[in-house]
Amino acid sequence: MIPFTKTENGSYVAGFTDVETEIIADLAAQIAGMLGSLVGSDDPLFEAVGIGGSSLLNDDPAIARLLPDAYGEDAVASSDFRRLTEQSLATRKVANARTVIDSLARSGEALELSGQEAQAWLRTLSDIRLTIAARLGIEHDGDEGDTDSDSALALHDLYDWLAYVTESLLDALDDCGTRWMT
Amino acid sequence: MNQTLEGTELHEQTVLDSPWITLVWNDPVNLMSYVSYVFRSYFGFTREEADRLMLQVHNDGRAVVATGSREEMERHVEAMHDFGLWATLQKADA
Repeated sequence: MIPFTKTENGSYVAGFTDVETEIIADLAAQIAGMLGSLVGSDDPLFEAVGIGGSSLLNDDPAIARLLPDAYGEDAVASSDFRRLTEQSLATRKVANARTVIDSLARSGEALELSGQEAQAWLRTLSDIRLTIAARLGIEHDGDEGDTDSDSALALHDLYDWLAYVTESLLDALDDCGTRWMT
Repeated sequence: MNQTLEGTELHEQTVLDSPWITLVWNDPVNLMSYVSYVFRSYFGFTREEADRLMLQVHNDGRAVVATGSREEMERHVEAMHDFGLWATLQKADA
């Protein structure tokens, strides 16, 4: 990967190899697929106004982490809030993941993101890493997580690499553009 | 139509109630730089304040990042969930 930099016109450019592009697009598609299955209510009226979510925290730890309870100590309020907001939250996460996929699909060796797309990238990178952490059982600071198999170790590598991608994008976002001022 | 729904459901609860708070909780996944960036870009905190709150989350396990009406705090919590941060709201005196 060639790290992200901010361009003169306010976009963000980075370079990814074909394999890296394929991996990120695939992971984003998995997020879209996982959350997409929750989107869409049986009731067209509820769907139209974006409500009709479930009332309980999802059994899948990854989905539960991406769509957590809003009230720490009030299960009833959490449940009410979830019914009203879960669909739109999941829909936004799916849209972010699709933005990542679309931006990768249109780019060749150089990826160029608008400011808005960069925001979608940040959020999806976090969603992907949260999902990998849930799969590896990383729950607290210092947790090693599952390291028992080659595939778990490969996931660890991916998890660390995605942190590097995130840091790189954050550096570019924090660049106020002074280097372009003359 | 949306406005009517929000108005009836949420407003009556917020007017008379004591303030609510938004808490962000520590997680082992999100980068410290990312949490600080979210605090700066979403809440408009200075870098110093954002870093202070981020370190409080990291060291103490949680930090209060906003205080206000229940409706406002619900909006903040949802925005934090958009970013993948683990956030909850509760009454300030709870």
